[in-house]
Amino acid sequence: MSSNKAFREDATRRERLKEWVSRPGGFGIITGVVMFASITLVGFIYPLVGPYGSDEFVGKSLEAPSLAHPMGLDQLGRDVMTRVFSAVPIDIGIAFLGVSIPLVIGTIVGILLGLSKNKYFKSIVSSLIDGINAFPLLIIAIAMVAFLGPGLFNVVIILTIMNWARYARIARTRAVVVLQQNYIEATKLMGYSRRRVIRKHIAPNVSSESLAYALSDFILVIIIVSGLSFLGLAARPPTAEWGSMIADGRTFLGEAWWLTVFPGLALCWAAISLSFIVEGLSRRDRGNA
Amino acid sequence: MVIAFSLIRLSPGDPAAARLGAGAETEAVEALREQLGLNKGALEQFINYMAGIFRGDLGVSLVNGVDVLETIQRTFPLTLIYITLSVLFAFIISIPVGTIIGWSNKATAVYIFRGITAIIIATPNFFIAMVAILIFSVQRNWAPVFGYVSEFPENLKYLWLPIAINTLILVAIISRVLHTSVVDTREEEFVETGIIRGVSRPRFFWFYILKPSLAPTVVLMSYMMATMLGATVILETIFSLPGIGRELVGAVLASDYPMVQGILLMFGVITVLLSFIGDLLAYALDRRVKI
Repeated sequence: MSSNKAFREDATRRERLKEWVSRPGGFGIITGVVMFASITLVGFIYPLVGPYGSDEFVGKSLEAPSLAHPMGLDQLGRDVMTRVFSAVPIDIGIAFLGVSIPLVIGTIVGILLGLSKNKYFKSIVSSLIDGINAFPLLIIAIAMVAFLGPGLFNVVIILTIMNWARYARIARTRAVVVLQQNYIEATKLMGYSRRRVIRKHIAPNVSSESLAYALSDFILVIIIVSGLSFLGLAARPPTAEWGSMIADGRTFLGEAWWLTVFPGLALCWAAISLSFIVEGLSRRDRGNA
Repeated sequence: MVIAFSLIRLSPGDPAAARLGAGAETEAVEALREQLGLNKGALEQFINYMAGIFRGDLGVSLVNGVDVLETIQRTFPLTLIYITLSVLFAFIISIPVGTIIGWSNKATAVYIFRGITAIIIATPNFFIAMVAILIFSVQRNWAPVFGYVSEFPENLKYLWLPIAINTLILVAIISRVLHTSVVDTREEEFVETGIIRGVSRPRFFWFYILKPSLAPTVVLMSYMMATMLGATVILETIFSLPGIGRELVGAVLASDYPMVQGILLMFGVITVLLSFIGDLLAYALDRRVKI
């Protein structure tokens, strides 16, 4: 934490921004945020203002990229560019749900574990957490699709069932540390209610670590959602989704590379932007350039 | 094992109904449930299944009636060979890369190194595979994607590309972790002692730098092997290699319930075994690690 100096009082907003960027990792964070914001914005705006619908047949099949269709047309004559951008709310939205629901559940369970004095509750939940964490996520997800049936909504359920354990473990470790801090002792002396202590004092301090993990988990979940779709286990065919679009393009790889490459690039763009943010934040944390 | 069983059993779906599709008659579903033993209580099912495992009986496939254990024995060796080879190559490449970049610690080199590896890790393996196929298989016929032959010299033609892709991803992950732990090791006092005592170069790098740094990498590796199993599912499907991963996807798509359970169990056992081996190796490399 070498460069954590406070901002000068009289600095203008522009100078503050400049100084913020010049601190370690600032460049990576800014690049990542700009990249991520751009694809999200385009994804939400383009389907509204774009000339074609995502399921509209606009030309002959497998037409090469041209000015009218910058990313070409797919095997059914749909505009690839429209489909790539309409997939953004689905891919990023599903991944967001798949990260945030387990984050909340896991953090609550972790805090309860840290607080709990009941031996049986503790050992049962802890071994459950370790058991779930022992399995590779993608394998379990694939196997569970067999029993839940394919579908994007089911993917969110699977991610929730599987992923809360990781957050619970992080939150438990952190909660044990937080509970020993002096400020928790102080809240007891001040006679705050248990609920208030948990909500206002324990939860914010525990969740900082979970949030940091959630960001890197986001990358993983985007890749898992699209990977499951690629295998035909998540998004069903008419839905525009990057993984399933890449899988569709696989058949026509020889004659129509644009079916595969553009959805793949969009997917990489999203994942890489997040990984730049994670990289930048961890650099800032370590405090070296 | 208990978890594998209960996760599947407690998931809110009916395998019998899923297998027969939405329009199936109730009697047909009931008959299949009877055949699978699903109409019994959860505990009884579990005991039956466990008893089967100890007899080496994982049930038979619903699709073609083949023994599940036999299928695993047939498909697993290929997956094992290919994962082992990629891990081996990945270590051979990433040990020098991670050590040299960690030791020299030049700002630009580290910056480029971390940037490139971050990009490789964030790129989904199926996209890397598709681009590689586009370059190596579609434009030049160097790595055929269909028609795997299992005889020794020919099969290399089919295997080299998936192994190379796996290796690339692993190199990015391993060398990053190694780099971080080499940087940490550099700060230790025994490194300084080594320099002062004038230990010879190879000896210095092996005993003073690499050996203590490798422990976290090895632990990570045993965890990564499990994740690799997930990655192979996708790569095997793309390159149509008859390994266990493709079998799993096929079984899931066909709702072949005993097969999925058998393969899952297999993966569970491997994962537990690997993490155990990883811990032991880490202890062998660095005695300060507690098991």
